[in-house]
Amino acid sequence: MSHFMSDTGSEDGLAQAHLHGLAHALGHRKSHLAESETAGLLESSAVDLLSSGFAWHYRCEDDQSAYDLALAAVRALPEGSLADGADAIIYSTCLPGNGNIGTAETWRSSRDVRHLMEFPASHLQAELELDRAVVIGLTQQGCTGFLGSLRLASSLLASEPEWERVLCVTADRFPPGSVYEQSFNLISDGAAACVVARSPGTFRILGTHHITNGGMAAATGEESIGSYFSYTQLLVRETLRRTGLTMADIDWIVPQNTNAAAWKILSRMLGIDENQVHMPSLPESAHAISSDHAINLSDLTASGRLRKGQRVMLLVAGHGLNWQSTVLEVTA
Amino acid sequence: MSSTIVLTGGTGYLGSRLAERLLEITDHRLVLLARDPQRARQFIDAWGADGQKRVDVVPTDLRDGTIEGVARDSVTHVVHSAALIFFNVEKLDAQAVNVDGTRAVTEFARRCPNLQRYLAFSSLYSAGTRTGRILEQPHPPESAFANHYEWSKARSEQEVLDGASGLPLTIVRPGTVIADGPDGRVTQYNAFHNTLKLFFYGLLSLMPGDAATPMYLTTADFTATAAAHLLLSPRGEGIYHLGPDPDETQTLGELIDQAFDVFESDPAFRRRRLLRPEFCDVETFRHLVDASRSLGTSPMSQALQSVAPFAEQMFKRKHFDTTRLHAAWPEHPGTDSPSLTHAVIDRLVASRWGRNQEGTSWT
Ligand SMILES: NC(=O)c1ccc[n+]([C@@H]2O[C@H](COP(=O)([O-])OP(=O)(O)OC[C@H]3O[C@@H](n4cnc5c(N)ncnc54)[C@H](OP(=O)(O)O)[C@@H]3O)[C@@H](O)[C@H]2O)c1
Repeated sequence: MSHFMSDTGSEDGLAQAHLHGLAHALGHRKSHLAESETAGLLESSAVDLLSSGFAWHYRCEDDQSAYDLALAAVRALPEGSLADGADAIIYSTCLPGNGNIGTAETWRSSRDVRHLMEFPASHLQAELELDRAVVIGLTQQGCTGFLGSLRLASSLLASEPEWERVLCVTADRFPPGSVYEQSFNLISDGAAACVVARSPGTFRILGTHHITNGGMAAATGEESIGSYFSYTQLLVRETLRRTGLTMADIDWIVPQNTNAAAWKILSRMLGIDENQVHMPSLPESAHAISSDHAINLSDLTASGRLRKGQRVMLLVAGHGLNWQSTVLEVTA
Repeated sequence: MSSTIVLTGGTGYLGSRLAERLLEITDHRLVLLARDPQRARQFIDAWGADGQKRVDVVPTDLRDGTIEGVARDSVTHVVHSAALIFFNVEKLDAQAVNVDGTRAVTEFARRCPNLQRYLAFSSLYSAGTRTGRILEQPHPPESAFANHYEWSKARSEQEVLDGASGLPLTIVRPGTVIADGPDGRVTQYNAFHNTLKLFFYGLLSLMPGDAATPMYLTTADFTATAAAHLLLSPRGEGIYHLGPDPDETQTLGELIDQAFDVFESDPAFRRRRLLRPEFCDVETFRHLVDASRSLGTSPMSQALQSVAPFAEQMFKRKHFDTTRLHAAWPEHPGTDSPSLTHAVIDRLVASRWGRNQEGTSWT
């Protein structure tokens, strides 16, 4: 057992947080990257992206919003996940603009800033009748927002003794006209949802970690890649230290979907088998912004390869620059 | 009859410095064998009145396989420094210029009846991927190489040793030249500077290599001075390693630490909080280079491709013996490696890798 756990099982509270149900939704328009190249949606060539392991991606139809994706992801959660309501909704977006349902046009014509703060989390609360839930927005963690919400949810459960469960949602779509590529990654519009609760679920959250380097807030794609390897290793080292684990205690790594070669490199550096790195959705759904973990972890769960007691490390890098990790233990 | 020194590569980084030095310390005439006579003229003009009076140019492309237009009787010294020096040179080009071209120069030297010395530039890395103590002697024939450049320099040495047997012969093997002189000024950029640039700009966070590998870094002044001395000295025949003594070298790990210490004194660098690179094995680095091909023609990808052919050497601990150099050149000034690299890195950072200097080459 890791020294992270105290006798009470809650040295910093996170040990009492469990992950229940994972669901995701993707934009409705599926296209091959060759088609997207022709449509002018890429910066790299389709050939280069194919060689990085990408193939297909999903974009929202014109009438499909990030909020629609969020709603679809929450509705896809296992039946009864929210039957007893939720105490909070943490709604994270990579693009701050996806944290507002109102449009810039309405604001411009009315000059009323109310249209710049039509919060999707509030709409979600009303739509799902989660009347008890307070809402929290996370909009400055880039693609790491989903793991950021797990960290925050765990901490909230520790500090709010009356709370039972927190709904974590992340949802992003790129504005029409955007290039669907970031830091040489093909992008999908997507959303993910899960519940972090005090009661036992599929996974127990053993620990989390977060590094922000604001000095690289304006990093280019190349700079992000350049720092990816050293910072990911730092993140892993610090996560292991914080959880009292060693690399040998980690059975699975679930990263964000990124150039397949990156994990050939990192698995060698970290001294783990490449087969322990689970990123199967890369060719099918590309980098679905902050939703990759929900997709890949659901796949790992469905694969039947997880065993009780195994530990899974989720890792992600994003703008800001931010690096986040979550260590889960399979409990169910 | 006055003596004439025939020089190939006189428009190059080391060749031009050697020519200038020979004009200074001798009153010999100089004949530059240059493929671009106009470029050669620019150098001669820069060498002032001595240059105008004592230097001639004979247009020569070593790929033609013969050297014509030089009165052989007057030639007392032949210096061969021309070469393609990129680590990522294609094998056929390296063969044509570095191997076949050397054969042509050697053949020319052999047919100079009054030859007093033939000096050919090789490289420390003609030793290939061998490790351990490397003597100032011909290499064993069965070496392996990290890239076609090294291979061609070893083949070129063999061409000289075979073709010039019986001639008064000097082979110099310079280390990696990282600066003009001890003050750290850089006019020729190579994989050394390129790698540090990737680190400084945060485009690379892995370092292929073993932190304990000694680095044989030197200056153009040291190399040209040593070559001139050996060329003219009656004791200068044989093979010489032109670089720091093994106990003067820095290790790769010390060098990287020093580089980051200097980088971190730059406020813009410090603000970005870039981490010191992690050492990785050669296979891991190859994956990185392969992956970088999918980044198209980005500067990062181009720089990595240029560094990659040298990566394997960063694992090969070599100790280049310099006993013969010390014996032939007792007043040899030695190398203060940490002070040299500090001066170079300081200037690279301050000048942002010579961004404002026109006409620098990237090898
Ligand atoms: N620089 C180093 O760090 C280093 C280290 C170890 C050994 N060396 C050796 O030192 C020698 C000189 O190096 P360097 O740094 O002075 O190289 P450099 O600056 O690249 O100069 C190369 C010279 O070779 C000439 N050349 C190339 N192809 C030719 C051809 N087909 N016909 C005629 N001339 C040709 C070039 O002429 P253009 O001006 O017309 O291009 C130039 O004058 C080389 O043998 C190299 O292998 C250098």
